[in-house]
Amino acid sequence: MSSGAPRKYPGYGSSERTQYAPYSAFDIPADLRELHGRWDVEAVAQRVRNYRYAEEWSMRILGGWVATIPELPVKTGLGKIIWDCAQSADALGERLPELRFARRPTGVALSPNPDFAKLVEAISEPEDPDLTIEKLVGIFEVLFPHLVEVYEHNIRHTDAIADAPSIELLENIVARHRRHMAWAEEVFDRLVDTAEERERREQRRRELGARLRACGGVTGDWPIEPENTVEAVRKEKST
Amino acid sequence: MKRFIDHSELARDRRFVRQNNVLSTILADVEDNVEAVVEAIEEHAPLIENSVRGTAAEPLFERHGPGMLLVRPNEPMDPAHPAAATQLRLRLHGVFVGELQALEGAARSLWDFPDAPWEFQMNMARQCWDEARHVQTFEKLLDHVDVEPGMFPESTFLFECACSEDPAMRVAGVNRALEGLACDVFRDTIRYAEASGDETLRQAVDFVLADEITHVRFGSEWVREFTRDDPEYGQRVQDFRREVDRQFSFGGARSARKDASIPIAREDRLEAGFSPEELADLEELSARGPSSETLREALGVLRERHEARRQAG
Ligand SMILES: [Fe+2]
Ligand SMILES: [Fe+2]
Repeated sequence: MSSGAPRKYPGYGSSERTQYAPYSAFDIPADLRELHGRWDVEAVAQRVRNYRYAEEWSMRILGGWVATIPELPVKTGLGKIIWDCAQSADALGERLPELRFARRPTGVALSPNPDFAKLVEAISEPEDPDLTIEKLVGIFEVLFPHLVEVYEHNIRHTDAIADAPSIELLENIVARHRRHMAWAEEVFDRLVDTAEERERREQRRRELGARLRACGGVTGDWPIEPENTVEAVRKEKST
Repeated sequence: MKRFIDHSELARDRRFVRQNNVLSTILADVEDNVEAVVEAIEEHAPLIENSVRGTAAEPLFERHGPGMLLVRPNEPMDPAHPAAATQLRLRLHGVFVGELQALEGAARSLWDFPDAPWEFQMNMARQCWDEARHVQTFEKLLDHVDVEPGMFPESTFLFECACSEDPAMRVAGVNRALEGLACDVFRDTIRYAEASGDETLRQAVDFVLADEITHVRFGSEWVREFTRDDPEYGQRVQDFRREVDRQFSFGGARSARKDASIPIAREDRLEAGFSPEELADLEELSARGPSSETLREALGVLRERHEARRQAG
């Protein structure tokens, strides 16, 4: 090969370069992501285990209620939501060995503290066929909105490049829960009609909401204080 | 929320009434003898009458008396028969409430067995979605044949089997025996839909049947897994399934007999994990019971007695 011809592959000398133009890994498309998230590998694994706990128990609680809810479309609507929660829990479990948490199909779920576990138990408490409102409020108006908030915070504050698999997984789960909440909103529109029913819904929301705040939510460290955001941490580091 | 509920605790809206589960299995224990059949039915006459009062099945009772129970399993469904429309409506309504209970049973398994293997829980969760779609499918099919949910009484026999506190027994009774029965019923309903040219019915039930084969397979696999290290326990679970299968053969109405109204869906069951030996056993145990000839005669006797009572009363 003559030395003047354009090379397809680099050679050993400095004159033996290829003809291809250089681009940075951030150019196409422009990559504004920054390294360093709020949590390291162990902390992400811990959070994933917390999320799995919430998704697993949502699946079981809804499963327990199907038989004791008299409204047919609520029964059938829950069937799909149960499967969604199972898939979310399963995907979270699949992420764990990738985060150096040994692969064990069961026993990976972890409550952040005993009080969150007690809250989940309180959500599961209503049994009677006339308590559909109390049942649905606990999952769809207290737990799921909280999970969506925490998952979205997690998506924004974890390392956007290194922890991208967690982000993608949480984005899917958030999309599912948003559908669930929209469905429940339609159910409430039909089921909550009288002043008394509105009060039942409100009271249940208040009670469980207070307990949720008191126990620190699904990760035990919620609500997220402003000084704990990744922006604040970065700022603190740079000064 | 407590673990394990009774079948009487299934929540329903005000359209629904229950049928005593005893009525579903009367024929399972009767000899092939007109007298014996008549006696067994007469013995339950008040229960039968009570369960149909105020439902769409009441005219059937008016016409046949308690012998109305024999109208359905008496002969294979034939679109040309004058009773075909009623038979189809009763069957689809029975399937509809069966699907509802299958949904409730699979869902309860998630709450009742939180420590079961994760893959088991995944299978049950998937079954919840499938059964929910089946309920929705059959609610549309009921509309398709002009039936309202709750128009006929609901027997809760499927959920009764789902009440077992042992997960292996539960999936053996529900997934293998009763969803196996569902495969037989669906295969026969597809045959009926083809014969009557009802393409909507045929296609919808064909999809549901595909799901049911998957559910029976869940049952076959989990029974094997749960009982793997304990052959004696495995045998008890198998015996339980055989007893459910015997009762829900309705005295040969579901069997491989020539006069059966619901033949055994052999190919579908093989695909779902039944062994050829199990199928031979099922054919044998389901064939016991009165012949269609006996049932027809018994129906005649019961109708005469019913009319005599009407005239006397
Ligand atoms: Fe089904
Ligand atoms: Fe099924």
